[in-house]
Amino acid sequence: MRFPRPLKTGVAVLAVAASLAGVTACGAGSKTGGESAATVACDYPMPAESTTVNVLAYNSSAIDPFTNTMVKSCSRDKVTLKHDPIDFAGQVTKTTATLAGATGSYDVLETYGFVVPGLAEHGDIEPLDDYVAKYADKYKLNALSKEMRESMSYKGKLYGLPMQAQMYVMAYRKDVFDAAGIKPPTTFAEMIDAAKKIQAQGNIKYPIALPWNATADITTNFQAAMNSYGKDFLDSSGKPQFASAEAGKALEQMKSLLPYMDPQVTTFDQPKVQQQMFNGTAAMAIMFSGRMNDLTLPSNTKLASNFAFAAPPAVESGAPYLYSRLSVDGWSIPKNTKLDKDMLFQMMASSVGEDASKASVPAAYPAREGMVSEDSSKYAAAANGTIGKTMPAAGDPKAAPVTNAIRPILVQVITGQLDVQAGMQQMQSIAEKTISGS
Amino acid sequence: MIADTIKAPSGKAGVKILTAPRPRKKKNPTAAILLIITAVVMLTPFIWTALSVTKPTDVAFANPPVLTGYAPTLEAFQNLWETTYFAQYLVNTVVVAVISTVVALVIGLPAAYALSRFPGYVSAILLLLALVFRSLPRFAVVLPMYEISKSLGIYDTTFALSAALVAINQPFTIWLLRNFFADIPKELDEAAMIDGCTRIGMLWRVMIPLMRPGILTAGIFVFLFAFQEYLTALILTDTSSKTVPVFITTQLGQTLPMLQQAGAAAMLLTLPVIAISFIAQKYLVAGLSDGSVKG
Amino acid sequence: MRGREFSVLMGPSLLVMFGLLVVPLVRTIQWSFENVQYGSPGDFVGLSNYAHALTDPRFGRALMFTLLLTVIVTAAILVLGYLIAIGMNGLGKLRPVILGAMLVAYVLPTIVGAVSFSWLFDQNFGGAVNWVIHAITGQDVLWFTETWANRAMIIAHTVWHMLPFSMLMILAGLQGVPNELREAAKIDGANTPKTHLYIIIPTIRGVLGFVCLITIMDVLRTFDNLIALSPQADAIGNESIMLYVFDSAFRDGAQQLGLGSAINVLSIFLIIICLFPFIRGLLKEAKAKA
Repeated sequence: MRFPRPLKTGVAVLAVAASLAGVTACGAGSKTGGESAATVACDYPMPAESTTVNVLAYNSSAIDPFTNTMVKSCSRDKVTLKHDPIDFAGQVTKTTATLAGATGSYDVLETYGFVVPGLAEHGDIEPLDDYVAKYADKYKLNALSKEMRESMSYKGKLYGLPMQAQMYVMAYRKDVFDAAGIKPPTTFAEMIDAAKKIQAQGNIKYPIALPWNATADITTNFQAAMNSYGKDFLDSSGKPQFASAEAGKALEQMKSLLPYMDPQVTTFDQPKVQQQMFNGTAAMAIMFSGRMNDLTLPSNTKLASNFAFAAPPAVESGAPYLYSRLSVDGWSIPKNTKLDKDMLFQMMASSVGEDASKASVPAAYPAREGMVSEDSSKYAAAANGTIGKTMPAAGDPKAAPVTNAIRPILVQVITGQLDVQAGMQQMQSIAEKTISGS
Repeated sequence: MIADTIKAPSGKAGVKILTAPRPRKKKNPTAAILLIITAVVMLTPFIWTALSVTKPTDVAFANPPVLTGYAPTLEAFQNLWETTYFAQYLVNTVVVAVISTVVALVIGLPAAYALSRFPGYVSAILLLLALVFRSLPRFAVVLPMYEISKSLGIYDTTFALSAALVAINQPFTIWLLRNFFADIPKELDEAAMIDGCTRIGMLWRVMIPLMRPGILTAGIFVFLFAFQEYLTALILTDTSSKTVPVFITTQLGQTLPMLQQAGAAAMLLTLPVIAISFIAQKYLVAGLSDGSVKG
Repeated sequence: MRGREFSVLMGPSLLVMFGLLVVPLVRTIQWSFENVQYGSPGDFVGLSNYAHALTDPRFGRALMFTLLLTVIVTAAILVLGYLIAIGMNGLGKLRPVILGAMLVAYVLPTIVGAVSFSWLFDQNFGGAVNWVIHAITGQDVLWFTETWANRAMIIAHTVWHMLPFSMLMILAGLQGVPNELREAAKIDGANTPKTHLYIIIPTIRGVLGFVCLITIMDVLRTFDNLIALSPQADAIGNESIMLYVFDSAFRDGAQQLGLGSAINVLSIFLIIICLFPFIRGLLKEAKAKA
């Protein structure tokens, strides 16, 4: 019996799909906890009915060990922990969405020092001091770095249980640098020099790669540049500093790097910067330390063994701090979760225990003290040195809305559509409006 | 028996497209070559994605692109199944598509029949309204649905998403089915009812068998629309009822291995859809051509 | 049939459409007059959302871009669809195969197609298009940060996605062109372009009108593909109206639900205005029948 050709093609395609699914689908969902995640004791009182705990955390080689430990170790009997993979932008959106109402979709949130003051001020997340006091001995919570706990506190109360810290690290191609006879730069001017020498070698057109994504990361980088001069977006009394001389210098220095970076740099988030390093189209990159481990994995790139790490440069020589931000990542409990907050805290606490923290090295820099030594990873030395030279970040609930407000203007300054002075004025005025208006 | 005496409407123009006799004028080889090139160009994004997800991670997105000298692997697919809840997302997508298709047909069939048999100003206005509804910006409808579903406690359920899709696709369903019904002569209805059938009975026993091609066509379209749906799913789902298109977009900012998995997910979603478009080509063509050229 | 039967048969469908389309629509209209967020009752602010929207340069840019996209894409798929349909008309055995291959672009979920499409143009991911262009001209096109390059990519994707639909419709319409008409034109000495322009196209103008209608309706509501193709849409002036609504009314916690709703209402008017000639035609037909 003759079958018409389209039918035959269609059946063939279906067969391909089915076999593709069949061959690869065995073990569906079997490794959702991460194969290599440490399993720890997660001992909490079992609730009466079957419960799903939804965890919101973006994926990165630094966060995943903690998330996976929590999911793997704490799911048992009636309780299932569920962690949907999501990128950073998605986490930001979902955090706002889940906290905006009487009920939310998530029960454990990944938060970081920058957003904690705003969320705490708004009453969206639960203060954790009582839980910490109650379980300090059981989970040895006093070993969590005091500075990092402060980063996750607001008005004296702890709102996030810190799991790790991230600071800027510079990754560079040791082979390319050696061939050009240069050492890792310590200022932006030296970066430009190094870039010129690498360009002269002819292989790499845009040697510098930075995550200046116009919808998110660019403001973090601007803040790092200002921090290098010792200024922040808001001073200690909460007044915007965009009209300051330091802000102007930071902008000029950032713009001076543009000829040595891919023209589409404003579309690069950190994974795209990683990609440039993987592909060998850039020779140096500055990103958060949590993204460094991926560069060392041969499964990601053939160049894995060529990467070396150093502390990020300062913007100018003589600047008080390095071009770096310190971000502490941790777990928070949303106020609007319907589950038992005590149980949630215990899950969070077990994920930052000793075994889990040890297993997260080298990908992460755990908050638990005594986990990182100079030879823990290829970039541990760089990370250790950078922490002390990063400007301490004071938390301000207005910092996040101000950052969102100035971002479009910052993009226009960087892309040259707006000149630096005009841009500074506009950022200053919109920051003032945001602080007073909201 | 009445059905046997009348040939079922099968999308006359549509059938002609697929089974046209050899044209009498001489074939134009240039045209054929150009068309083959066009077809290949149209398939390029799909082919490129298929290549990217079957390469080992370190060469998958290499720049300049690597086309030879690697061993193809299905690792991205394996990781997708094992380390994410893709199985659940796929089930959600299929469940929502099936439910919305079935319900859309069940309530759309009688309505389309009524519109085709009750000519006049009212029908015309209703059909016009259907057109206007179809042209509405989705957000105007879906943003309030977010609020309604949250207050009813059905947010993030396949039920809510299916209901939304049934409503959103109703105008198209009615429009398409009505055009198929219009092909069946009215005398048939009267003949059946003289024999003692009630209107509903006649619908069930006579019309529906005759309308099989039309129903299949409408069903396939509604299924495809539901499968493709992104905007509504983005707003109305979160963790439990997430569908595959939404999952894919949450992976766009991820690092390399997870990006490959997103591509693998796209492939696994696409292949059944392509299969359907080949197997059911006749119906798709009939629906697109006949369902709207008339009326 | 009697009115009661009509109501019973139409009932469920009308109920669903009323409950799930009209009721939310009314809510949107209500929100457009308020300053409101999800979960809190809004404060009535009269027409200030509309005033804000109509004087907002961002809305103006979105409007211009969406209209530009609509016009270019509609023109492109009418012309290309016609040419391909004419070519397909001359094919025999190859027809179902080419048809099947072309339908793939149409049945793929839009967002999936857009992601696949974007990888072709992304240098960071080894995009084939960039590689070919670089090999031929030595230049690099900035597909994601340059306004017009980005527009070209968006137009290419939208055309790619909607072309099969247009081609299929026109092909179906061509089946209805009587051969005698064509032969009569040949006898009269008309050469091929004239045959097309004066004989064939007028005969299928109903189909062409329908393709126009659906394309305009769909492209005015562009949203899905911009997520993947234009991550910086607003910064480079390539934001569509629907993307603007999403940004203001949902993305960052629905801070401006009222404004987004006002824009939704304005877009409804825009769409109806753009579709007006077609709606008028349908109304005329209805009056003729009644």
